[in-house]
Amino acid sequence: MTALAILVAAGPLAGPLAVLLRARARAAGLAGVAGALLSFAAAVALLATVLHRAPLQGWAEFLYLDTLSGFFLLTVSGVTLLAAIGSVSYLAAEQDAGRLSSFQVRLYFMFFGLFAALMLASLETGNLGLLFVLIEASTLASAALVGLEGKARSLEAAWKYVIISSLGVTVALAGTLFLFYAGTALHLTSNQRLTWPYLVAHAAALAPAPVRLAFLLAVAGYGTKVGLAPMHTWLPDAHAEAPSPASAMLSAALLNTGMYAIIRFLAIAQHRLGAGYPRAVLLGFGFASILIGVLFMVRRGNFKRLFAYSSVEHMGIIAVALGFGGILGLYGALLHTLNHAIAKAVLFLSSGDVALRYRTREAAEVRGLLAAVPVTGGALLLGSLAVLGSPPFGLFLSELTIVRAGFAQASPVLPVLLLGFLAIAFVAFARTAAGMVTGSAPAPASPYAGQALGRSAAVPLVLGLAVLLVLGVWIPAGLNTAILHSLAVIT
Amino acid sequence: MEKLAAASPAGVLLDLAGVLILLLAFACLGSKLFNRYVAYYGAQSVVLAFAAGVAAWRFGSVELWILAGLTLLIKGIGIPVAARRLLLRRVALARDSAISIGLSTSLIAGGGLTAFAYLVTRPQLLPHGLAAAAVVPLSTAVTLLGALAMVVRRHTVAQLIGWLIVENGVFLGAITLVATFPFIVEAGIFLDIAAGVLIMLAFVTGLTRQLAEASATELRGLRG
Repeated sequence: MTALAILVAAGPLAGPLAVLLRARARAAGLAGVAGALLSFAAAVALLATVLHRAPLQGWAEFLYLDTLSGFFLLTVSGVTLLAAIGSVSYLAAEQDAGRLSSFQVRLYFMFFGLFAALMLASLETGNLGLLFVLIEASTLASAALVGLEGKARSLEAAWKYVIISSLGVTVALAGTLFLFYAGTALHLTSNQRLTWPYLVAHAAALAPAPVRLAFLLAVAGYGTKVGLAPMHTWLPDAHAEAPSPASAMLSAALLNTGMYAIIRFLAIAQHRLGAGYPRAVLLGFGFASILIGVLFMVRRGNFKRLFAYSSVEHMGIIAVALGFGGILGLYGALLHTLNHAIAKAVLFLSSGDVALRYRTREAAEVRGLLAAVPVTGGALLLGSLAVLGSPPFGLFLSELTIVRAGFAQASPVLPVLLLGFLAIAFVAFARTAAGMVTGSAPAPASPYAGQALGRSAAVPLVLGLAVLLVLGVWIPAGLNTAILHSLAVIT
Repeated sequence: MEKLAAASPAGVLLDLAGVLILLLAFACLGSKLFNRYVAYYGAQSVVLAFAAGVAAWRFGSVELWILAGLTLLIKGIGIPVAARRLLLRRVALARDSAISIGLSTSLIAGGGLTAFAYLVTRPQLLPHGLAAAAVVPLSTAVTLLGALAMVVRRHTVAQLIGWLIVENGVFLGAITLVATFPFIVEAGIFLDIAAGVLIMLAFVTGLTRQLAEASATELRGLRG
């Protein structure tokens, strides 16, 4: 089982390895896909194994894997696989067009693999300190992806991303320190006082005031990575300026990794402080994010920024779901994490095709996608509907669960507010997306006619949409058990 | 864990170092010239290395000695020298005074943040009589002052050093509050900081090539 765990995290390193062995850019991309496939298969096997066994532990709990980790590993490695497949054709097109040098493309595959591997590794550790180290390292690797194009705009976005996220994660480190300090009275070794299974088990003996501070700092700190408002300011820039498959990784994998860290702190805080305080913190940040996300989605402009603000909104929804709590709320939060990750990966990957073909990232300049590129246009339309929570896609089910969790609480005000925001988001997002896909195709001779992607670009789109559709009508028994077992870890 | 009493020699030395580090953070905040800003940061890191040395001596910990040495070499000497070279030679930026609010305003804000740090950390969090009770408010204040420097300074390298001041604050808190923090984690944090500085300097060099002087005032392409 330990071997499986190592394989999950080390799989994506195939890309960087190929680059180091001086493989050609395209070969490195294919190696990345093979590695991601291996990693995903290992993650599925790992989740299936860990479901029926005690958590995997090793190396003084620096390796610790329970069902919750397994669930997030499945999500992140799945997204990595989709993005890795998308990367091959996207980067090939960029290189053919002469916008990226062969060196830049190799650099891309290098950091893409590193980024994925670091994120997957951070989901596998039981040590909060190591979690910080790995998340900060993944920030650095992904910042290199954001700044890859080397233009003033992408460097600006990368700078903003790396400086804001580093500060945020440092705040989370301060939170980790206070949590460590809260366990001073425990008779545990210093490693164990940073390991959450021990912290959860001994939660009653932790000093309450430092735990309170630690939770707040952790939510503010890791919330910066999640993109919770008001720490979200790096997010739209980084998502808009990164190469599209890298945006997919940021939105669908990185944000979830940050949320995972928050969930770990939440589990400890709930055991010590009860539900009230963590609930207030999460609902506050969550609703602020939904509000900011929805407000900025109303503006029409760069479509990648639109998707990015939609990510802010959805991260807010997940935070709210965690805040609502109870079996329903937590179930909804985890299911929504998975659904949103897949839907956003599909959207960002299809946006890459649109940006290449139309040579623009402005929504107003894109028309007639369905007529011009049926597969990409269709994926964009269906992906948008999915992200907005329309049936029969998975997000409808998870959002419904979250709203029901809200109504199960005493006051109906918050879930009604949530529904209102969702309605505004629907109108704002659908207005832009519908404008992009409908209409007649631009004339082939128009200045917008860029080049097409290879046929493999359609694979992740179709794959992702199929999974979303399945999750909307049927949750596999294994996944259901995985989520239910994960809930037991949190509460 | 062994408690570090405030009245013990090590406690007194740490307290003293904490005060010096806070004063140097104020010096950074109040220095108009860029090279002084960097120099004060270097001095702060040297004092921090001394504080880590005191903790290492008190707890007899080899790991902390290593950390103290690394702090001295990388933060106290390496980064300031590299920043000066980059800025003075390549960017020719000796007297950058790009501060978005007045110096006196930023110092007053810094005073307010220090008071805030005392208010939040002192009363309920820490038992009296521990060195940590005196040092943690100081380290919290240093963290906040570093964040303030990041906000008011406009040049990208100045923001980077602001982040490093924040790190110094957290590190000071770490050595007094939880001297037994696992070494693997501490080493990882150090590695992250080093890698972070490298990648940020790469961005700064790229931005310098693209823009006139890589000041954040020019970073206005992305909004909304």
